Amino acid sequence: MTRLARTGTWPGIILAAGILAGCLVLALAFGPVSLSLGRLWELVMAGPVEGDLENAIFWQIRMPRVLVASLVGAALAVAGVVLQDLFLNPLTDPYVTGVSSGAALGATIGIVLHLSNLPWTTVLAIVGGLGTLVLVWMAARRRGRIDIFVLLLAGVTISYLASAVVTVLMIRASEDMYAIVYWLMGSFSGRGWPDVRIALVAIPFMAVPLFFTREMDILLQGEKRALELGVEVERTKRLLLVTAGVLTALAVSVSGIIGFVGLVVPHIVRLLVGPGHRSLLPVSLLVGASMMVVADLLSRTVISPNEIPVGVVTTFVGAPLFVYLLRRGRRV
Amino acid sequence: MAPLVSLRDVDFAYDERPVLRRISFDLDAGEFIGIVGPNGSGKSTLVDLIDGILRPGAGEVIVSGVATHKYRRRDMAREVALVPQHFDLDFDLAVREVVEMGAYCRGKDPAACGDAEVMLARLGVADLVNRRFSELSGGEKQLVVLAQALMQQAPLLLLDEPASALDVSHQLRLFDLLKELNGEGLTVLCILHDLNLALHYFDKLVVLSEGEVAAFGPPDDVLRPEMLEAVYGVRAYMHRHAGRTYLTFSPRLRGERRGRVHLVCGGGTGAGLMRELVDAGYEVSAGVLNALDTDEETGRELGLQMAVEAPFSPVGDEAHAENLELMRAADLVIITAVPVSHGNARNIAAALQALGEGTPVWADEGLRANDFAGVTDGIADAGVRLFAGEVDLLEAVRRGEGAAVETTT
Repeated sequence: MTRLARTGTWPGIILAAGILAGCLVLALAFGPVSLSLGRLWELVMAGPVEGDLENAIFWQIRMPRVLVASLVGAALAVAGVVLQDLFLNPLTDPYVTGVSSGAALGATIGIVLHLSNLPWTTVLAIVGGLGTLVLVWMAARRRGRIDIFVLLLAGVTISYLASAVVTVLMIRASEDMYAIVYWLMGSFSGRGWPDVRIALVAIPFMAVPLFFTREMDILLQGEKRALELGVEVERTKRLLLVTAGVLTALAVSVSGIIGFVGLVVPHIVRLLVGPGHRSLLPVSLLVGASMMVVADLLSRTVISPNEIPVGVVTTFVGAPLFVYLLRRGRRV
Repeated sequence: MAPLVSLRDVDFAYDERPVLRRISFDLDAGEFIGIVGPNGSGKSTLVDLIDGILRPGAGEVIVSGVATHKYRRRDMAREVALVPQHFDLDFDLAVREVVEMGAYCRGKDPAACGDAEVMLARLGVADLVNRRFSELSGGEKQLVVLAQALMQQAPLLLLDEPASALDVSHQLRLFDLLKELNGEGLTVLCILHDLNLALHYFDKLVVLSEGEVAAFGPPDDVLRPEMLEAVYGVRAYMHRHAGRTYLTFSPRLRGERRGRVHLVCGGGTGAGLMRELVDAGYEVSAGVLNALDTDEETGRELGLQMAVEAPFSPVGDEAHAENLELMRAADLVIITAVPVSHGNARNIAAALQALGEGTPVWADEGLRANDFAGVTDGIADAGVRLFAGEVDLLEAVRRGEGAAVETTT
């Protein structure tokens, strides 16, 4: 399979940015109330105005929802690239570190205790996610080094443990079961500006790996070779793992658990632009955002006025695409 | 001038298992040094210690005047470059990208980093620069990794068995290249398994055995058959041909020494038996032989203990006495179908004396046909066992009929 952007970094990034812009416009235009391109432009120019229904739909419902979806998609894709390349394992996604299960446990506790969605359930989700990261981290640390394989195993184990606790809580608090299940499936339904504010925190964390593209390229040759070539491997690994953990926790806390984006997007982008991180990271970020925005658009329009959980959509779209690309591409 | 690398009483253990013990040696700038030793003798560990990837459990590794554990990785990479033993990449990167990774330690300034294409051209493979790394052959990959390491522009290059995946032509090309780079001032320390390459290319060799330096010096001094036998547990034979020295080997595991056989031979009648017996695990001695005799040369190649007389001279008292000593130390004496004249008749007498003292003596029947001194007529009566030829002799030895041979195992 030939690459689209073999010649340089910028053509790929510009193309991906264009695609994201197109997806954002589509997602803002379509829904139970469709808006024309001209109308979209008027609404953007007008800004939020009281008493206009279309204006309220655009500014109070659609815009925050689309922004949250794009930020979550971008965060998961970046976390996916970082984790896959640190673990040198193509099957890794942002959820293997146990962060998402920890976040789910935090959110479940929030729901069971009938705390307000914002900020408390979200805060508990973030605390749960990062707490899990610390636990997994401690399990994987031996003599000042992080053993990546122990980290992976510990992450998977703690995921199961957290899921088991969530299940127990669901059975104990059966009246909240629907809310918990719905949260676990992942959705952008009803996300507003406060959620956008939380998701925006992810932006600086998404930027961190961009400063380590050379180190990440070199780490593709393995940790030992990276040491030989002069990379401070432990420091780089720590920084990137924490970054990926925070991105995952933030994403999960505002949207629940949405599968496949963090796994599939890095693979798709790697096949298109190659494994070099100078292209891979920014293009994955943009493609992750695009994919999530489109998935959310489908989730709320296909059986409108009902919604399909967005995680189901991402899986339906992502799985066949992934298999197709795997069969076409030589290597992942 | 201070040495480039200095190891002082370095110990290293993985967990509780000691790998290196009391390693001390210096490496001067501009040297071309090979490290040889059996698998598991600690060669790769030694290289990783010099590159600061491992920290010594005791002692110090000093590179350019500073202990390795005080280096930041980037500074270390500017001092020491390493070509690893195994290198592969599961990701589809361009050769240019792979080579440029080597310049990481030089920072972002392109002027300080050098050019990947120039480096590959230096190694004679400029055309690889736009290929995909994953599409390259094993030999090409090895050169790309070497180019990557050279991009570090470090004064010391370490190589961990760079030739193990290469065919013979690529091997020679690689070592010629290293020699050339060494000529331009690069200090090279290279692990290798092929002792003949080690013999030809390197100024000095470090021989590691069970975690210790067994020898350190010029290859001719270091790769002696006794040393190789002690370190590798094989028989090594050193040959000189057209001004070059080369080694051949035959397997003989340590601790399987089966007994001593002394050969009375000469004129090439004993060369075959010598090799067969040595390969079968016997300790072989011979005598008295004249220097430059075919059997004497073979014995020397095999590193045998021999009683030797000057060329074309009859057996003198000294050689005769030495020969008797060797026979007494042996468990079995074999006399080949050697032509007997007055010059070497004393060897037959010595054998009969040894027989009288209790050492069994076997002989090839052909001996009597070539006896021009008339000293072998009575040997059968004296108790010498006669065999139809070399093949029968060998078979009897292998069957263990020389009871004395077996009982000493």
